[in-house]
Parts: sequence; C-alpha cells; structure tokens
Amino acid sequence: MVDQVNSDIPAVTMEQVNKWFDDFHVLKDINLQVADGEKVVVCGPSGSGKSTLIRCICKLEDHQRGTIKVLGTELNDNVANIDEIRREVGMVFQQFNLFPHMTVLENCTLALTLVRKKSRKEAEAIAMQFLEKVRIPEQSAKYPGELSGGQQQRVAIARSLCMNPEILLFDEPTSALDPEMISEVLDVMVALAEEGMTMVCVTHEMGFARRVADRVIFMDQGEIVEQNSPHKFFDNPSNERTKLFLSQILQH
Amino acid sequence: MTDATYKLPPQTPFLRKIQNSLFSSPLNTLLSIATAVFFIFIIVKFVDWAFLSSIWHAEDEPLCKEAGGACWSVIDARHRIIFFGLFPYEEHWRSTVACAVMITTIVASCIPWFWSAAKLSTLWLLGFCTFYLLMHGGLFGLSVITPERWGGLALTIFIFAAVSIIGMPLSIVLALGRRSKLPVIARLFGLFIDFFRSLPLLTILFTAAVITPFVLPGWLQGDKLYRVIVGFAIFFACYQAENIRAGLQAIPSGQDEAGLTLGLKYMQRVTRIQLPQAFRNSLPSIVNQFVITFKETSIVTIVGFFEILASGSAAFGTGKWTVYYIEVYVFIATIYFIFVFSLSRYGAYLERKLRVGHG
Repeated sequence: MVDQVNSDIPAVTMEQVNKWFDDFHVLKDINLQVADGEKVVVCGPSGSGKSTLIRCICKLEDHQRGTIKVLGTELNDNVANIDEIRREVGMVFQQFNLFPHMTVLENCTLALTLVRKKSRKEAEAIAMQFLEKVRIPEQSAKYPGELSGGQQQRVAIARSLCMNPEILLFDEPTSALDPEMISEVLDVMVALAEEGMTMVCVTHEMGFARRVADRVIFMDQGEIVEQNSPHKFFDNPSNERTKLFLSQILQH
Repeated sequence: MTDATYKLPPQTPFLRKIQNSLFSSPLNTLLSIATAVFFIFIIVKFVDWAFLSSIWHAEDEPLCKEAGGACWSVIDARHRIIFFGLFPYEEHWRSTVACAVMITTIVASCIPWFWSAAKLSTLWLLGFCTFYLLMHGGLFGLSVITPERWGGLALTIFIFAAVSIIGMPLSIVLALGRRSKLPVIARLFGLFIDFFRSLPLLTILFTAAVITPFVLPGWLQGDKLYRVIVGFAIFFACYQAENIRAGLQAIPSGQDEAGLTLGLKYMQRVTRIQLPQAFRNSLPSIVNQFVITFKETSIVTIVGFFEILASGSAAFGTGKWTVYYIEVYVFIATIYFIFVFSLSRYGAYLERKLRVGHG
C-alpha cells in the first residue's frame, strides 16, 4: 500500500462537512486539508466537536453533508471504501480500548493475522518490533489489566502501528492518564512525528503541540475558529475565543 | 520494638478468630452451640439411616422393616429400570456405553484444548453419531430400538446434550439478531425471544409433541422425541440469548470501535472481541441456565418419555417396593447432584480461568 500512495494526494480532505446528533449541530461547514506527513493538533473546549471531527475521518461517525476524502478515497456508504480506509487509518483512543481478554501480544497480532493475513510467526515478529518501539516488549505476555495506564496507551499505539497505517488519529490520548504517565506516551508520539507519520491529534498538551505540530486548529461550537502555525497560534492568537481558551488552559 | 515489627500487618491468632466470630457474646455463644448440635444431630441421623442401619442387597429385603435404616435393596433390585427405563434388558450394555460416550463428549468439550469450531464440531458429530448408533441400532447387527423405548439416564443425558448443542448456537444468533442495527431485524428477533419466553415450557413441549404433527408435513415431523428436543432447544435458546445479550451490553462501545479501526469485519469482531467478553461477563447466568435445563429435562415425562425421574417412579411402582420411594428419590437426587454440582464447579473453574488479567 505504501508505494501506491502518491504524496501529492492530501491525507485528509474535508469540504463543507456538517454533522448533527439529532437536532444538535456538532460540525458546521468544516473545511480542512491535512497534507501527507503533516502533523495537525486540534484543540478546543469540551463539546466543541473536535473528537467528532476525527471520528468522522475513520467513519466511526457518519457525516450528513459535505465530502470527506481520505488518501483520495471518498468516505460514502461504499463498504469497500470504508474497509480500505479503516485499514490505512489508525486510531488511538482516550480510553485505550485494548482487548482485555487478550495478552498485549495478541492485541497487536489480531488484526495482522485476520486483516493483513500474516502467519502467526510473522505477525508476532512485527508486533514485537513495534512493542520495542514503544519501549514495552517485556510486557508482551501480560494482559492489559496488569499494566499501568501509560503502558496500556503505548500498547494501543503499537497495536495501531502494526497495521502500518498511513494516518494516525489520536483522540485525547493522554486525558485518561495520571500526570506522571503523560510524558512516556507523549515521548512515543514525538518519536512518531519525527519519523514523518501523518498525525491528527486532539489534545490539550500544548507543549506537545508547540514541539511537533505543523498546524494548530482551534475549534469551538462545531466550527474551526482559527488555524495557524503553533508559533503564531500560541504567541499571537487573532480570535477572541482562542485567546480566552488559551488563557484558561495556560494560566497554571 | 524493632522496625521489622511494622513490616507485616498484625496477625490474629486462629483461636482468637474463632472466639471473635462464634463466641463474642452470650447470644452468639448460644446460637453457635444450638446450630452445632442441630447439624450434628442431622448428620448422625442420616449416617445411621443411610449406612449403619441400612440393608444393601436385594435378597435381604425382608430384613428392612426391623433394620430401621435405608432399604437400598430396592436400588440393588431395580437400578436397571432407573438407569435404562423401557430399554430392552439384553441391550442395556448399549445404553451404558452410549451414556459413557455422551458424558465423555460433554467432559471433553469442557477442556480448553477442544475450543475451536473444527474440533468441537468433530467431537460432537462423533459423539452424537456413536450415541445414536448405539441407542437406535440398525447397523452392524444391532437390533433397532426406536426412541419411544429409550429411557432413564441415557434419555436424560441425551435430551440435555441435544438441547444444549442446538440451543447454544441458536441463542448466540438470537442475541446478536436482537442487537442488530436494523430496527426490523432487531424487532423480529425481540418478538421471537419474548414470545417463547412468555410461554411455559410445558406448553411448548405439548405443542411440539401433540399439535405439530397436525400442522407439519409428514417428512418434516420426525420422531416425537426430536420434535420435543427442538421445542425445548428453542425455549432454552430464548433464555440463554437474554443472558448473552446482557453480557454483550456490558462491553464498552470502545471495544467494537477499536475493532473497527483495525479493519476487522463484523464476524471477526463478534467472534474475537464481543463474544469472548460477553461469555465472561455473563458466565454465572449462562451456567445457571444449563443447570436449570438439566433439571427441567424431567418435564418431558408429561409427554410420555421415561427419563430418569419417571423411570425412578416406575422402579418403586410395583409390589413390595412401593414403600421404599424415599430410597429411590435419594438415589436419583444423588445422580442429579453429581451432574449439577460438576456443572457448577466447572462454571466456577471457567470464571477463575477467564478472569485472568482482569484483576
């Protein structure tokens, strides 16, 4: 798949995307383009639609209007398209969502054997390689319930990486962690960013945003209010709502 | 005091624990002693009745009245009726082997090594074929014995095994159907489940045995026993489906989403992610349903089958044995107890096994 992807094609294109939960208008005329290899951080107050935005990219949520293209393929009701895109887009969740009845290694090899059709041996080799990358190979025989939150999230990242995704989406990956575990997860994410992975991260870790983001997007009430380079975004925000938000989260 | 003293929690001596829990106040002491006396009395009485003052051999039956204990002579004389019902006397070995085959199959399918679709289906196909061949005959020079003459323990085990093996896959289909995203499918499955759950088992068995022959074409009717088993299996499946559905509902939605984003297909998510967790979540009620079903097999008596309880009644139903019904019932209760207790112990083992890593 890797060599088939033309780097001219944007990783994600969203045009006039609208979504409603019943009567509640969660996404309003979203226009967003993420280039291949780009790292985008999405932030905003809770309920602003930022999680919904990235869940739309891997079709965990349906949008009702507008078009979303991922790696040049449009997300519509075509099941084959959706399957193809889900194989190429990885997602890391706030609650890790590891499979509790499988060991760390089995969590990582499951999709390799079922979706990528690798042999068990090959799958385990790939899984161990990524578990080493997130610095947790010694825990491979344990069950998720035996690991700390930070370790679980690193396993979840390794599980996504095993599928060799083109794009990795992060939905508040550090929000459910105890403070002392946040940096071990962010370190892994920084390393991935430096290797050129295309990333869309919903996060409030502003240090991380400053360090790796090519672009920071601020959302409020379902709209993209402001987007800019981290430098301009943090030091010179133009919108009043952005200023208010930044003053609230940066005052401590 | 050294530092080491503080490294371990303070220990209460064993005798002090006993004293604290049983004799902490005059009332507690009184209750403890009264309970102990009561249980010792019961146990002594029972041991005396069942073992010390009891008569064991069929020919010693005349001694029973004076002995005052259990008259196990009735079991010695009539156990073949209890175990085999109306099965022809000289063919009892077939029923015995068939029982052994079915119990082996059940025990084997409880062993984790057999837990793959291929192994389990081979095992059960072999088990059922052997059982059927032995019981029904008609091949290899075995005389034909039709299901109306099957009886006793073999029939009880056969009905239980057949109901479980038809009912369990059906219950999974029903549970998944009821959770379908398509409202029409979900409603239809819900209606089916609630319809059969709201009928008494007795009604379903009667309908299967007596009424369906008027409705179904001849080639679809099959033997009365098979119709009763299918009816029973549907009833079982509807209850079991609700247990499984409860287990499915307890799984956080993130589990399925994680499966989706890894590109797993519906059946892969169901078999690898949802069902294993659903079984773990509702294992106690799933095992419970099996236990209930094993005991409810005795209801088939009502449509004319001689399973073990009915055969037991036949065992003390004639001549001099009519007074020894307690012994027969104690004997049958022991058989039920062995099966049901094994089943619930196995359930407890599974719970421990599946709890690995869940804290």
